[in-house]
Amino acid sequence: MRLHARVNGAAFEADVPATASLLDTLRAAGLTGTKEGCRVGVCGLCTVLVDDRPVSSCLFLAGCAEGADVWTVEGMATRAPWAVEAFVEHEGMQCGICTPGQVVAVASMDRDIATEPEVRRYLSGNLCRCTGYGTIVEAALDAKRREREALGHIDAGNHDAEGRA
Amino acid sequence: MTVDALSAPSAGDPVFHAPRTLEEAFDALAEDGAVALAGGTSVGLLVGQGLLAPTALVWLGRIPGLGSVGVAEGPLSLGATATLASLASDPRVRTAAPALADAAAAVGNTRVRAVATAGGALAHADPRQDLPPALLALDARVEVAGPRGRRELRIDELVCGFMSTDLAPDELITAVRVPAPPGRRSCYLRFTPGSDDDYPTVSVAATAVVSDGTPSTVTLAVGGAGPVAYLVPEAQELSGATGARVAGLVADVAEAAARRADPVDDRLGSAAYKRRMVAVWARRALGRCLTGER
Amino acid sequence: MSPLEAPERAAPQVAAPARPSSAGTAAGRAVRVDARDKATGVTRYSADVEVEGALHAAVVRSTRSHADIVSVDARAALEAPGVTAVVTAAEIDARFGGELCGRRVRDMPLLASGKVRFIGEPVAVVLGETRRAAEDAAALVDVEYRGLPPVLDALGALEPGAARVHEEPWRYDGAVVTESDHPNLQSELVEGDQDAARSVLAGAAHVVKARYRTPSGHQGYLEPQCWTAWPLPAGGVALLGTVKAPYRLREQTARTLRLPPEAVEVQPVPLGGDFGGKGGVVDPTLCAALAILAGRPVRLALRAGEDFTATDARHPAVVEVEVGCDDEGRLLALRVDAVFDGGAYAAVKPIPSVNLHGIAECALGYRLDAFSIRSRIAYTTTLPKGHMRAPGAPQAVFAVESAIDELAAAAGIPAHELRRRSVLRDGDRDAYGHVWEEARGVQTLDAALEHAPRDPAPGDPAPVDAGMLRPGDLSGARWRRGRGVALYARPTAAPASTSVRLVPEADGRFVVELPLPETGTGSHSVAREAFADALGVDPRLVEVRQVSTGGLPYDPGVGASRVTAGVTAAVRQLADRWRETGGVGPVEVETSAAGEPPALSFCAQVADVAVDAETGEVRVLALTTAVDVAAVLRPTAHRMQVDGGAVMGYGFACLEDLLEADGQVWAANLAEFRIPTAADAPVLRTVLVEGGRGVGPCNVKAVGELSNVPTAAAVANAVADATGCRLRHLPLTAERVYWALEEAGAAATTPAGHRLGEGAPA
Repeated sequence: MRLHARVNGAAFEADVPATASLLDTLRAAGLTGTKEGCRVGVCGLCTVLVDDRPVSSCLFLAGCAEGADVWTVEGMATRAPWAVEAFVEHEGMQCGICTPGQVVAVASMDRDIATEPEVRRYLSGNLCRCTGYGTIVEAALDAKRREREALGHIDAGNHDAEGRA
Repeated sequence: MTVDALSAPSAGDPVFHAPRTLEEAFDALAEDGAVALAGGTSVGLLVGQGLLAPTALVWLGRIPGLGSVGVAEGPLSLGATATLASLASDPRVRTAAPALADAAAAVGNTRVRAVATAGGALAHADPRQDLPPALLALDARVEVAGPRGRRELRIDELVCGFMSTDLAPDELITAVRVPAPPGRRSCYLRFTPGSDDDYPTVSVAATAVVSDGTPSTVTLAVGGAGPVAYLVPEAQELSGATGARVAGLVADVAEAAARRADPVDDRLGSAAYKRRMVAVWARRALGRCLTGER
Repeated sequence: MSPLEAPERAAPQVAAPARPSSAGTAAGRAVRVDARDKATGVTRYSADVEVEGALHAAVVRSTRSHADIVSVDARAALEAPGVTAVVTAAEIDARFGGELCGRRVRDMPLLASGKVRFIGEPVAVVLGETRRAAEDAAALVDVEYRGLPPVLDALGALEPGAARVHEEPWRYDGAVVTESDHPNLQSELVEGDQDAARSVLAGAAHVVKARYRTPSGHQGYLEPQCWTAWPLPAGGVALLGTVKAPYRLREQTARTLRLPPEAVEVQPVPLGGDFGGKGGVVDPTLCAALAILAGRPVRLALRAGEDFTATDARHPAVVEVEVGCDDEGRLLALRVDAVFDGGAYAAVKPIPSVNLHGIAECALGYRLDAFSIRSRIAYTTTLPKGHMRAPGAPQAVFAVESAIDELAAAAGIPAHELRRRSVLRDGDRDAYGHVWEEARGVQTLDAALEHAPRDPAPGDPAPVDAGMLRPGDLSGARWRRGRGVALYARPTAAPASTSVRLVPEADGRFVVELPLPETGTGSHSVAREAFADALGVDPRLVEVRQVSTGGLPYDPGVGASRVTAGVTAAVRQLADRWRETGGVGPVEVETSAAGEPPALSFCAQVADVAVDAETGEVRVLALTTAVDVAAVLRPTAHRMQVDGGAVMGYGFACLEDLLEADGQVWAANLAEFRIPTAADAPVLRTVLVEGGRGVGPCNVKAVGELSNVPTAAAVANAVADATGCRLRHLPLTAERVYWALEEAGAAATTPAGHRLGEGAPA
C-alpha cells in the first residue's frame, strides 16, 4: 500500500507492505533516531507521536498512520525544544538508547504536570537501565516548567487524567 | 532499504482496508483470513511475532462515531473504538462507573492506553486483562454487529474461553453499554506485587448499590484467576446486610470467590497463591465498595 | 555513508564526523559530550549504521538442551524467496579450520558441530536479502536431534557420575581444569584457609550457617546486540557492532579465523548499555566468518528476545555461608562455599581464572581471624553464563550480608552495630593480609544510617503510588515496616594500561582519540574533563572520539571498573606530553599499568520497606546509599552510576528472574523479564563520603560496580526486620514472602534483639 502522512512537519510518502510497522517504515526512510528495542511495546525505545498520542511504533501498523501527523525524536527540536534543552542540561541520559523515546514521551506529556509521581507514572513505560531515572525525571519536570513559561498554562479541563494535552 | 513485511512473504502481502462505514467493514471481513483491528496493539503484536498471518487487515479507525462515549438516558454507551485513555479520563465514566475508569487507567502503559480500545481488548479475550472483570461486575452489555444483523451479549456470553469469543469472523463489537443505576458504587483493584505495569496476579471488581448504609445488588467479579474472568454470584448474599454481620458475610463471599477460581501456575504466581489472593483481594474490594472509601 | 564505497582501499572508519563544540554544551557550560546528539536522535548505534549490500543473518537455534545433531536439512530454506545461503559448521570448518572460540577458554564452536549443549545454541545461519526473508527461511531449516541426558543444575552437575557436558574440558585452550577435576567443573577459586576457618568457627560464641540462592538474571541493556561485518581487501574483515572490548575481540576473531590480528579491524560505535553483556566474542566472530564466506557485508541483529535466551546471563548461585562472632559481636571467621551455574560454555567469561572474582570481595570489608572462600563454577546444558556488573559480588554479598544479620540476631546485637565493630578502619589489615592505608568503612556505614529517613512517614513520596488503585496510606495493621542495612567493599586498582592520541586542530580545538566505546558510563565525557583540566582549557574546546582498532595500539576494554582510572591517567599523560613537545601535535601515549597500591571503596545501603502481611508484597520505600569517594570529576555522571546501580540492585532483589527451568529461559523478553520502571524504583537518597584517597593522578575511585551489590541483602534484612521471616532466595517475590509468613505463623513476632527501625543509630 502507499502510505501518505506527515512526518516531522513535512509530507511523507512510502510504499509499504500492509503489515509493516510504523517503526520499520520510519527507520527505512532514514529516520533512525527512533530505536528498535523489545518489539513488544514494553520498553518505549520506539515511542513516536501519532496525532499527538505517544505510541509504540513497533506495534503500530503503518497503515493506521494514513493521513496522520507523526513526530519523531528528529523533530523534537522543532516541536518541543524545551524537552530537548531540558534533557541536555540535566543530562537525562547515559547510554542514550532510551533517550529518543523519553524525549518524545515528555513532549506528549500534559503541560501542567508538575510533580514527580505524575511524571513517573506517565513515563513508566519508558524503561532505562542506566540512569536510575533521577535525571530523566528532573529533565521532564524542567521541560514542563519551560513549556509553561513559553506557552502558558492550559485549563485543567483540557487534559485527560492520563496526563496528555 | 526496503521495509520488511512483518508477515510471512509466502502468505502474500495482505490488503489493508480502511472502511468508512460498518457495511464496508463487513464486506472486507467477508474474506477468509481477514482480521479487524482498532488500535492495533494486539494485532500488531501477533503479526509481528508471526502468530497471525492475515489475508486482509480491516482498520476500523476511520468509521465515524465508533469511538464516541455517550450517556443515553442512564446507561453509558461506549463506542467500541473509544481508547482506554479516553475511558480513563472521561468524567462521565468516572462518575457512573469508577471501576471501569480504574480498570482502563491500569492497562499496560501510557502508550498502550493511548491507542488500545475497549472493543479491541474484549475481542482479544486474554484472561489477564483488566477490563473484563470490571465490565462483568458492572453488568455491561456488548453490542455486536454483522452482516446478519445486531445482537447484544453479556460479557460472559461474549468471552467464552481462553482467548476466544463468540464473535463470528465477520462480526464486530460496536459498543459497550454500562448500566448506571443511581447510588451504585464500584471499584476495581489489581494486585501487581512485582512491577506496577505488569499484568495483575489477580484482579477483582466489585459494585454495590448502597442507600442509607445498606447495600442491595452487590456484584463481584474476578480476573486473572481462570481461563476467563468470572462472576461470584454469592456476592448477592450481602444484599441487605448491615452491622456486625457484614464482616463475616464478606469473608464468606471472598472464600466463595476463591473456590470458583481455576488459576494456572505461571510467572505471576502459583495457582495456590493466586487462589489465596483471590480471597484477600475480594475481601478488600467488597470492603471498599460497601464502606465507600477510596 | 556506506563503508563499501571504495572497495579498493581499506574501508574508512565509520566514525561520527567532527562535531562543533556545542555538542556537549548547555546553558554555557560543558555537559556530557554526547548529550545533544543523544537527545535529538543524531547518535548512531550499531543498528543505525547503514551498510549497503548487506545480507541479513537469521540464526537457526537448538531446541534441545543436550543432543547429538543427526542432520540439518536446509533444502526448503534454500528454495525460499530472498535466500542466498544456509551456513552450517561444515562450511565454517572447511573454510577456517574448525577452531573453537572464546574470551579465555576456547570451548565454543561458531556453529554447533555434532552436538548441541543448550537451547538457543546456534546450529545454522540463513543469509537473506532481507531480515524477514532470512527469518522466515530459518523456520524452514529442519534439524534432527538425538537426545542426550540434560544436565540442568549446577549441584547435580558436580555429583559423581553426572552426565558430561563436555567430553574432555581440560583439553580446551585456556582451560583451568585438569583431568582429575570433575568433568563438569569449569573452574574453582579458593581463597583463605578452610581448616583455620572451621577451627575458629568451632570455638565461636555464636555461629550461623545458612544457604542462599540467587536466580539467573540478565544485564538488561536495552539496545539489542547487533554486528555488521564486511570483508576487507587481502582477506581481512571489519566489524562494527555492540562490542565493549574491541581489541580483545580483534584478538579472538583473528585467532578463530586464522587471520593475523591486523587483518581484523573493529570499528568505533557507541553502545546502548552493556553491564557486562556485550563482551561476547563468538557471535561477532561468527558474523565475521559469514561475511568472509559470502564475500559481502553481513548483518547479524538479535531480536525476538534472543538477547535473553541466547547470549549470556548472570550466573545463578547457591551460596553456603558460615559466619561466627564472639560474645561482644566481633566477627571471627567467615566460610563461603558457592556453586555457580556456568552454563554450557565457559567461552563467555574473560578472566584467566575463569571464575567470578566478586566473590573474593565478600571477605574484604571486615577484620577476620580466619576465612575461607570456595567458588566452583559448573558446566550445565543451559544458557552460557557470563559477566554482569560486579560479577559474583551481588550473589556472594547477598549471602554474606544476610548471614551477618542472622548472626547479629543470634548474638542479640543490632546488625549495624555488629558490622561497625568489625568493619575495616584506616591502617587495618584485611583477611587477605593487605594493609589498607585508608579504609572508611565506619564513616560510610554511619553516613548511610544518618541519611536514611528518620521515620519513613506515610506521606514520604512513594513514586509508585498513583493514588487510585493502590492504597496510598501505608499505615494500618496489614503493613509492616522494616529497615535493613548491608555493606560492600571493593578495591579500585591502579590505572590499567591503555593508549590514547591527541590531534590538535588548526582552530585551537583538541581531538582526543580513545580506544574505547562510550557504553553510557560517560567515559568519553570524563576523559574530556580530565584532559581539559590537565591542560587548563575550556572542556568545550575538546572533542573525544573512539577510533577503530587500527587507530591505536591497545586497550583491554570496558569493564572491571578500570576505565575512569585508566583513561584519566592516560589523558593526563597526554596533556603532559603535548606540553613537552611545545604544543606541536599529534601526540600519542601508551600507558602501562601503574605500580601504585589500590584504593578501597565502601558502599553502604539502608533499605526501608513495607511488607503487606496479608499478601507478602514487599514495597521498598526508600534506598539510602552511602558511597566513599575521592575526586568526582563529573558529579552528574557519578550520580547516575550510583542511582542506576541502586535501581539495578533493587531489580535483583525484588523483580528480576530469567526463570530458567528445564533448560529453557522462560522470561524471554522485557515483558517477562521485568526490570524496574520509573514508577517501580524506590525513592533514592545518596550521600557521598568525601575526601577519600583514590588512585592515579586524578585521584579517583571506581563507582560503576558498587551500588548494585549490597541492595539485595539490605532489602532481605529489612524484610526480616519487618516480618521476622528470613528469606534466602531471590528475588523476594510476594509469593515467597507469603509462604514464609504462613510457615512462621501469620502473627510472627520480630526476632529477639533490637529492631533497626527503633531508635537512632549510635
